[in-house]
Amino acid sequence: MSADTALAAPRRHQPIDRGSSIGLLLVALPVLLLAWLIVYPIFSAVVGTIFVRGPDGATDLTFASYRFFFTDGYSLANLWMTLWTTAVCGTLLLAIGFPIALYLRFSQGRLAAYVQALAIFPMFVPSIILAYALIRTVGPNGTVDLLLNAVGLPKLRTPYLTPWGPVIGLVWDNLPLTVLMLTAGLSSVSNSAVEAARDVGARPLRVFVSIILPRMGNSMLVTASFAVLGIFSAFTLPYVLGPASPEMMGPFMQRTFADMNDPLDAMTQAVITFGFCLVFGIFYIRSIARNREARP
Amino acid sequence: MNRREFLITSSAAAGLLALPRFASAAAGTIDLYSGSDANIIDLWNNIIRLAFQKAHPEVALKVTDAGDNNGLRAIADRALAALKTKTDPQADLFEQFDPRLPAGGIDAGLWLKLSAENVEGYDHINPLALDTPYSLPYRGSQVLLAYDTTKLDPKDAPKSWEQLTTWIKANPGQFIYNRPDKGGSGSNFVRRAIHEVNGRDPKKFKVDNYTADYGTEALTPAWKILNDLAPSLYDKGAYTSGNTQSIQLLAQGVVTMVPVWSDQVLQAIAQGVLPETTGLVQLGDLALCGGFSSITVFSNGANKDAALKLAAFMLTKEMQEAIITQIGGFPAISWDHISDDLRKKYADVIPSTIPTFPSGDWEKAINDGWYRSVAPGISRT
Repeated sequence: MSADTALAAPRRHQPIDRGSSIGLLLVALPVLLLAWLIVYPIFSAVVGTIFVRGPDGATDLTFASYRFFFTDGYSLANLWMTLWTTAVCGTLLLAIGFPIALYLRFSQGRLAAYVQALAIFPMFVPSIILAYALIRTVGPNGTVDLLLNAVGLPKLRTPYLTPWGPVIGLVWDNLPLTVLMLTAGLSSVSNSAVEAARDVGARPLRVFVSIILPRMGNSMLVTASFAVLGIFSAFTLPYVLGPASPEMMGPFMQRTFADMNDPLDAMTQAVITFGFCLVFGIFYIRSIARNREARP
Repeated sequence: MNRREFLITSSAAAGLLALPRFASAAAGTIDLYSGSDANIIDLWNNIIRLAFQKAHPEVALKVTDAGDNNGLRAIADRALAALKTKTDPQADLFEQFDPRLPAGGIDAGLWLKLSAENVEGYDHINPLALDTPYSLPYRGSQVLLAYDTTKLDPKDAPKSWEQLTTWIKANPGQFIYNRPDKGGSGSNFVRRAIHEVNGRDPKKFKVDNYTADYGTEALTPAWKILNDLAPSLYDKGAYTSGNTQSIQLLAQGVVTMVPVWSDQVLQAIAQGVLPETTGLVQLGDLALCGGFSSITVFSNGANKDAALKLAAFMLTKEMQEAIITQIGGFPAISWDHISDDLRKKYADVIPSTIPTFPSGDWEKAINDGWYRSVAPGISRT
């Protein structure tokens, strides 16, 4: 027993030690880019919103811009709207993406290839084009209304210019990534495990709950955090399809920065947005790290 | 031919190819950036550039689409930085920009001060169009009301603000305007409401007379009017996110009337985006505001003198008439300097005066005030 572990330990650590210098060199460039283009701006934004240069040129430590954001009903309504949209989109994405991913994982043949192509298709449509197309389809007197009218059904209240407009657009836009990541996650479910369960008489639902879901926790978390990160900072679709107020953080930040010429408030909004995204980023990184540790 | 010969000949050929580029670089290529819509970029590339190069064969003009105003601001920020380090900003002029940006740019001397001394034809400019000496108005357009004549008889079309609001309330859901920061058609509709509650006197608003108190006093009653209209708008108070989307809703027959830019609506009708049955009307008691687009010239551009030539060229009768005939815009020079037949032809369509509204702090106050006071106004369910 002790001899086994003594043998196993160096074997596990050796490749890491040997490759570390080359590995570090390989990651140096992306890490430097990350530090320069992402980490530095974040710190400069945080510092810039806390240490504010007053009109007299002196720099003061102040939380005034944050106090304003969290006491301003209008800003809070926008933040709440963003959280609502993100939660609804995230849930819808998992609910729609999972069946498609399951289908793609467990079926073969030409039809599955077509479904896959169709599911990936939105990835190649720029969101601005999608936004205008959606106005023509789900917008007032659009294609959906025409079809309903043709079969004698009444018009539906259009989601255009309501909070549901961006939800529809964002779900459509983020579906390919969700499906791809869930399909990748499902490939970790081995065929033999599913077949073994079927052999002992498990029904499809039972297979899903007891065999597939337990292995999918990690990849669902990763998928959800990716979707959330993308949706939280969405700009084009909420800008074109959403209501004038409350607006999502993306358009709100842009408007504060460009229209109101107020970089301090825009930066504060960005830091707050970043704070929320950070939580999901941590989820993602923790799950990746746990994955690494679990691997022998 | 061996490898060495091949290298020599091919590099010589490449050098020859590069020659004209060096030559034109020596004579100067004006770098113009525009953040305007595609119709304006087309006008510059297809009409103005060719005419200018014909008139001034020694200079070339390069028109670059900067996307939008933010794209221009990024270039202006860089030019301001270049001014401090005394390097070439690689930009000579902007097709349309507010020289009050970037903040401190005018004080630092980023923009060239324009006057009759350095721009020929400056004294022909319509005094209404002049904003600051750091920008040169060269085209204008105005906001009108476009409506569907199959639903609204032209003789019943509203001719005054009062008739318009009465019509909107009598026909709930048939009118929409865009958010004031997302496009001029909606923002000038909002400004018309502001004029209405301030004695219909555009002179009360100047670029430098904004104070927080005056702002509250002048704007608050307008928010009341607009909030009062909101339940009668499309979807009980929805606002489109741009000029184009308003036109789209009119084209889809969703609403009966929208405010539109004159040049955009004329083009939409010409291209068939809007049907021939689209009617246009302007309020008679006080027109909806228009605006002039103004060229700004960098003081530190490498081709400053050529850029000034271009600015002066834009004020010539030929170019000003092209703006009327090509894009349905208004000239920036007074109508006295436009040829008689054009003046007669457009006399009925285009008024000789366009009310304007200053930008600067007023714009900020109106946009923020509208978002906070009007946009969330009521529950839409």
